[in-house]
Amino acid sequence: MHKELSDLINRNVTGANAVAYLTADAKKFDSSITVETSHIYKVVEFLKTNKTTSFNSLHCISGVDYTDYMEVCYMLTNYDPSAVRNLTLKVRVTDRVNAAIDSVVGQFVSADFLEREVYDMFGIKFNNHPDMRRILCPDDWEGFPLRKDYVAQKDYNGMTVYPDNKMNMEDREFIVRQNMIKKAQAEKAQ
Amino acid sequence: MQTRWDVGEPHKPTINTRTEQLKSDLLTLNMGPQHPATHGVLRIEIWTDSEIVAHAIPHIGYLHRCMEKHCENLDFRGVIPFVDRLDYLASMNMEWNYAMTIEKMLGTEVPRRAELLRILTCELQRIASHLMAFGTYAIDLGAFSPFLYAFDYREKILRLFEEVSGARLLYNYIWIGGLWNDWSPEQISRVTAFCDDMEEEAKKYHELLSMNKIFIARTAHVGVMSVQDCIDFGATGPILRGAGMKWDLRKNEPYSLYSEFDFDVPVGTGEVGEPGDCWNRYIVRMREVVESIKIIRQVIEKLEPGSIMGKVPKVMKLPEGEVYFRSECPRGELAFHLVTKQDSKEPFRLKVRSPCFTHTSMLPRVAPGQMIADFVATVGSIDIVLGEIDR
Repeated sequence: MHKELSDLINRNVTGANAVAYLTADAKKFDSSITVETSHIYKVVEFLKTNKTTSFNSLHCISGVDYTDYMEVCYMLTNYDPSAVRNLTLKVRVTDRVNAAIDSVVGQFVSADFLEREVYDMFGIKFNNHPDMRRILCPDDWEGFPLRKDYVAQKDYNGMTVYPDNKMNMEDREFIVRQNMIKKAQAEKAQ
Repeated sequence: MQTRWDVGEPHKPTINTRTEQLKSDLLTLNMGPQHPATHGVLRIEIWTDSEIVAHAIPHIGYLHRCMEKHCENLDFRGVIPFVDRLDYLASMNMEWNYAMTIEKMLGTEVPRRAELLRILTCELQRIASHLMAFGTYAIDLGAFSPFLYAFDYREKILRLFEEVSGARLLYNYIWIGGLWNDWSPEQISRVTAFCDDMEEEAKKYHELLSMNKIFIARTAHVGVMSVQDCIDFGATGPILRGAGMKWDLRKNEPYSLYSEFDFDVPVGTGEVGEPGDCWNRYIVRMREVVESIKIIRQVIEKLEPGSIMGKVPKVMKLPEGEVYFRSECPRGELAFHLVTKQDSKEPFRLKVRSPCFTHTSMLPRVAPGQMIADFVATVGSIDIVLGEIDR
């Protein structure tokens, strides 16, 4: 299905450059289609409006950080009891500093909150989005938590993030004691 | 580019004469974060024109615990207690979906008894969750006694879960490959007795609340979400079914053993009000309770003694790949997007697709033009759990 679908996209959306990634074991893993980053809006528009595909709902947008590039996965589905279809559509973002791709809010309103979440967690801006703000973290939070190189800020509005004495003292003594026991055991073993 | 609102950006007002004029008469009202009708720490910024809501902006994230980041440093079994804390009113369903995601990747075969008992627990959990929705929704609308009736019966389910798993709300009971503990025949017989009682009780609820004149006046024709709106926003579960669309993953894409069971998918028909309003969303939940009882009875008929744990490696290492697995939870379709690296002991990325998150994004669509009291009814009818929205 993915192979035919990627061919269909390539034929109808010029420059989409859709590549189907097929897993060896379809029972265990999902296949996906990767398209050109700049053409995501057109591809989504095609998949929604075309009669043979007619994906009428955007189920989820998920981001993945592979350190050398980031991926945004669009989970498309169609609510049609006779022919249920699901598709994972992917785009790659290589620029980590000024990461930006086109928003698909024009096609699916569900993308509104979902794109805001991806922005909040991965720092990928969505062009043409009506309300591009952080959604889960505070507006003045620094950094993007789900990036693999994320380091939490030390200070937030005069409050210490991860203070040393956050844990209650009894637990802490327990851990200290455990560490002492481990150390003694290691010395004994030597 | 099509946008949803003509009101301009809410936080950075642009110098636009029309927007300025519109804003001059509006009063900003904060509903929450500590408001009884929001069921948690949800804050909704409402722009009101006297008693009418002009615009509603949900602000979420007060319960954000970075669960997805935590999971990247835990082994696959260690994630389960975290998954519990997503939707704390339907923990069993959350655990089950996570377990199924991992099992799909591992190719584990779950024993038949374990699979049946999972359906039993999750359907019981669905009843408990819908009872909670029923009780709190009545409180939102000013009726207190349904809450007491609902909690009485919810308590019976929680007692059973406590006996079987050791905890009342956050169970860590459904494990990868099977279950932690078996149900005894005595407990199963109590489930049967509960089903009989609950069926009678559900009829009582209809007399008590569903057909109550005041309740109908508060909920019928209020907060209408059409099927097209629901599909555009990706709404699932009782919201979509309440709008009149017959869509249930247990029927349309059967996972586990659901294809073996005989049950109906209740939809909002509009016998009171119209499809897609608060009353129809509410009645879909109440009818699902009866359907769940049907499923539980069939499960008990099919139960046979056997093993409850499949063959799972001691040290769990998954191959490289990704899976997007979804299942029908009480509040809608929950899904996990799991990405793993070769021979990894922990998830590389675990994304939770939460139904309440998308349902919250529908509030700005339905709010304009409603009375404030009706808006409270609308928020209550989509049955929000903040643990799942904020993660």
